[in-house]
Amino acid sequence: MIDHPITRRESLQKIGKISAGITLSAGLFGPVTKVLANVAASKDKPGAAWMVEGVGEQPGYCVKTLTRKMFDAAGGMGKFVSKGDVVVLKPNISWAQAPHLAVTTNPEVMIAVIELCQEAGAKKVRIADNTIHDAGRCFSVTGAAGAAEKTGADLVHPRSSMMKKINLHGHRLDVWPVFTPFVEADKIINIPVAKVHGLSVLTLGMKNWIGGVGGRRSALHQDIHQSIVDLAQFFRPHLTLIDATRILTANGPSGGNVADVKILNRLILSNDPVAADTRAAEFFGKTPEEVGFIALGNKWGLGSSDLDQMRRQSVVL
Amino acid sequence: MKSRRLLWIRRLSQAFFFCLFFVLLVMAQLPKDVSMDYSQTFSVPENAETSRTFASPDIRISQPVALFFQIDPLIWLSSVLSAREWLQGFGWAIAILLTTVFFGRFFCGFICPFGTLHHMAGAVRPALKKKEMMAANQTAGSRRIKYFLLIAILSASAVGLNFAGLFDPISFLFRSLGLAALPSAGIGFHDFFEFLAASDIKILNYLGYGGEALAAPVFGYENKVVPTGWIIGILFLIILFLNRIRPRFWCRTLCPLGALLGLCFRLPVLRLKKKADKCTHCGRCVQTCQGAASPEPGTIWQPDECLMCFNCTTGCPENALAFSFKTGDARKQKTDMGRRALIGGMVAGVSLPLLGRLDGRSDRHPSPSLIRPPGSLPEPEFLDRCQRCGLCMKVCPTNAIQPALSAAGMAGFWTPVLVMSLGYCEYSCTLCTSVCPTGAIRLLSMREKIETPIRIGSAYIDRGRCLPWNGNAPCIVCEEHCPTSPKAIYFKEDVITRKGSEPIPVQLPFVDLSRCVGCGICENKCPVKGKPAIRTISAGESRSLDNQILL
Repeated sequence: MIDHPITRRESLQKIGKISAGITLSAGLFGPVTKVLANVAASKDKPGAAWMVEGVGEQPGYCVKTLTRKMFDAAGGMGKFVSKGDVVVLKPNISWAQAPHLAVTTNPEVMIAVIELCQEAGAKKVRIADNTIHDAGRCFSVTGAAGAAEKTGADLVHPRSSMMKKINLHGHRLDVWPVFTPFVEADKIINIPVAKVHGLSVLTLGMKNWIGGVGGRRSALHQDIHQSIVDLAQFFRPHLTLIDATRILTANGPSGGNVADVKILNRLILSNDPVAADTRAAEFFGKTPEEVGFIALGNKWGLGSSDLDQMRRQSVVL
Repeated sequence: MKSRRLLWIRRLSQAFFFCLFFVLLVMAQLPKDVSMDYSQTFSVPENAETSRTFASPDIRISQPVALFFQIDPLIWLSSVLSAREWLQGFGWAIAILLTTVFFGRFFCGFICPFGTLHHMAGAVRPALKKKEMMAANQTAGSRRIKYFLLIAILSASAVGLNFAGLFDPISFLFRSLGLAALPSAGIGFHDFFEFLAASDIKILNYLGYGGEALAAPVFGYENKVVPTGWIIGILFLIILFLNRIRPRFWCRTLCPLGALLGLCFRLPVLRLKKKADKCTHCGRCVQTCQGAASPEPGTIWQPDECLMCFNCTTGCPENALAFSFKTGDARKQKTDMGRRALIGGMVAGVSLPLLGRLDGRSDRHPSPSLIRPPGSLPEPEFLDRCQRCGLCMKVCPTNAIQPALSAAGMAGFWTPVLVMSLGYCEYSCTLCTSVCPTGAIRLLSMREKIETPIRIGSAYIDRGRCLPWNGNAPCIVCEEHCPTSPKAIYFKEDVITRKGSEPIPVQLPFVDLSRCVGCGICENKCPVKGKPAIRTISAGESRSLDNQILL
């Protein structure tokens, strides 16, 4: 039987298979082969975890160029985004703080990813985050509104009418209101920022999914690590790009003081959410065992912390 | 012919100012999707640390949303009397007052958006038949009530309580529309469009999405919450309904601004000239008179009541009425406000401020629940200026600022108070400080608010309800959201040992009062429903010397 929580993609695949079965029995052979081909194509190749790390060594290097080169190294955005896809980006723009304070995702990184998606033929690129501070202020202050304006991406204003109750099938979480753009997306790219957190130790890629749901979010902290893994299992992004161009080392996740900001000039791109978080945790001097949700993610097979076992590349500017 | 043209100018002017008022009312909110230039926040040299922290600019509303308050002579006069200070930005109010000396209540007829609303409510398909209308439009003794209110407001202002905003037409209208009519209409629209969007029919779907996209910029993406808005709304409906019984009931009977303008009409240059020999006493002038100012020849014209609507001169079939300019000896008769209104108003005006101070809230016993917006003046000065207009409540992006019912005592009825269960004061937000028309909330920059810091109160933990403290679960939500840096909430590590279960490691939260600014986000986000485990009170607010906890 199933020994791990069912993910969003798996359930979609199941639905696909079931509907394929129904069509098959109806005897419509032409379309059926197509459906089956799609189902096969959408399956991840097992064990193909990889990671690209970007480092900006030159002073005044271009963050956008670095991001582009990393995707090139990973095989180009076209490998992940198909023509006509609706791509939803999940930055961390939850706090109304200026981007240099390392509380939110670097807007330059956002712009680079949006442009890559558009070049790959995405039908629509959306930026979505159920923010903690007032969404309008978050969009303005974090630079997300500017990024959307420059690129023509859609900035989705979170509201209660866009939260649909969905069963997450988690270990701890069942029915929760989920921010619908993520459910309706063809491709999801997670672009978190790396910073410290009072309870979960760090907030990286997997924890970013707290911004993908609504409802009584503050109650999640009563079992934070399992909740994070449940959410990460449900949303399971196609790619994770962790922004560590600058990281917040104290007074997170809200920050507000440049004295707590450390400039790292690094970015991590991976298809394995656990691996990406593991690498980012190293920047804070933390091992996977010290960060509860990374350890749990390992345990539940959401990904692997064993960085030596995967194809790793680095891009230096 | 000439009069008809004047009538249309009046109508156009009314329409223009009413639309302007409405547009500015809608604009009084956080501007949508302002894209800020963040490039300089990255480029400032690293050693200039403090300037880097505050490198991003404050978000402001670019439209003059306080305009109508600043052209309102009653707001200006009462605030100047009570604050004993010359207020900035009220040039138009003074200009209108001076023009009124010669031309009468043209403000009521041409500009006042509340007057326009009453005009429409009373004149569009009137409920009264001709005879009834003529009876309703007779100059009535009840007109003196407004003088009573005016005298009470002005003398109370001089003694130290400014409650002009409760009756000022601009404040009344802004409060009613901004805190009751617009938010409740928003609820209706949201529901309707959501109902359409949930439909199975494609076209209705698109209509729902389209409607939502149109409604959101006006009503906001979420329904606004105003727990006491129903009182404001019902009052507004009653005042509007009274127009069906007596046209422009408010303007004739209650409006203190109308009373002030009527009183100021000292040197009438523009006067109604009656030709008694032409009049056939058909009554059309009385039937359409908005101010009940006795336009009919044979009666004495009441210039203080005349709203300059030009209905009488335009409607007269015999050309027996005309407004004409007359200079020279133009003294008019004394305003008939009645001795009772004068004396009663003064008695009320002197006693209300004193009664309002009985609760001791403005000085010795500050109310713990009275958390004022950041930048608010000390309580007595605040009450000198606050017009209870609701502008700060309308613009607050988190919906925290609410009209007070009892938190501020009788003197502070409907003044702004922060209710943390509904919203919180966002750390880097200074929007409310930038809109207050009278400076009861003074302008703050984000930098001043954070660096000073401007405190609006302080938080305390209810250990009996707090999850780690009462041994129910680990939780750090208050600390997580605490916006100060370093954080005002810190932990002590502990372990809960519950009977029959594994020991749970918890972090027990403490509030560092020297760092807490009272923003209330901890109370707002606390997962303990019903009564949050961390709550905010006004003690510790920067604006008071006495309402403090620490040395």
